[in-house]
Amino acid sequence: MTVHNLYIFDRNGNCLYYNEWNRKKQAGISKDEEYKLMYGMLFSIRSFVSKMSPLDMKEGFLSFQTSRYRLHYYETPSGLKFVMNTDLSVSNARETLQHIYSNLYVELIVKNPVCSSTPSLDSELFSSRLDAFIRALPYYSPRAA
Amino acid sequence: MADDALFEFLHMEIVSHIYKEQQSGKGEMDNKDRAVCVSVLEGMGFRVGQGLIERLTRDSPSFKDELDIMKFICKDFWTKVFRRQVDNLRTNHQGTYVLQDNKFSMLTQLSSGKQYLDQAPKYLAFSCGVVRGALSNLGMESVVTAEVSVMPSCKFQVVIQKL
Repeated sequence: MTVHNLYIFDRNGNCLYYNEWNRKKQAGISKDEEYKLMYGMLFSIRSFVSKMSPLDMKEGFLSFQTSRYRLHYYETPSGLKFVMNTDLSVSNARETLQHIYSNLYVELIVKNPVCSSTPSLDSELFSSRLDAFIRALPYYSPRAA
Repeated sequence: MADDALFEFLHMEIVSHIYKEQQSGKGEMDNKDRAVCVSVLEGMGFRVGQGLIERLTRDSPSFKDELDIMKFICKDFWTKVFRRQVDNLRTNHQGTYVLQDNKFSMLTQLSSGKQYLDQAPKYLAFSCGVVRGALSNLGMESVVTAEVSVMPSCKFQVVIQKL
């Protein structure tokens, strides 16, 4: 039961924040390429999902899973994208991501006068609070299943 | 009272607007420019404080002495304006008071520690003005300065000017 990593993208595709807790295998490419790959994949999958949907779409793309991990996706109305990889025991992380957005991002980044003007998430306060929050999640444990 | 976020965003914009205006002429800001920005913000806070104190003391009885006024500022005034009470009030009984707030509302979102310490004074200038305005309308001319060593805790030093 664990959270592997978390990405936050803005509406233009820049990766604002990335942190990992339990990642055993790296992607084999540089971090910038990895962010671009992740963003590009999300963009394509969202438009694919909306085109091929047999019914009217409500939320759109929510998550995908493989035999080892599940990727959860949450997009805010303002275009911010939160992506979290967890193991298979976590079925729905939407509320967690929503909490991260409204209680951590909005409180500590949007309301931070220094961070608001530049698109960067340097705030140590944000990092430490986010880290503490993730570690306190009921489905987080330091060792992957 | 209205949502606190309204004033927080407005305050952030006021600070950044004033700094941008000062900077628009030249490239770098020197200490004189920074002092001008701080005094503009403080002046704004002064007027706000004067008005606020009229409103907040409508129903209270008149104050016995300086210490009573300072205690009012630390408790009721601070609660109404900054949503908490001052944690520590020290005085030398000769007109100098130090008010310590361990979780100052303008600083909680900035950081909890040393990051952005150099940016903190910008966001304290307005609040210093508010305190000075409040005291001025209560009959006490003063000089109010603020210092921060570890956020979000900060100390306001009030020196009463004896005429």
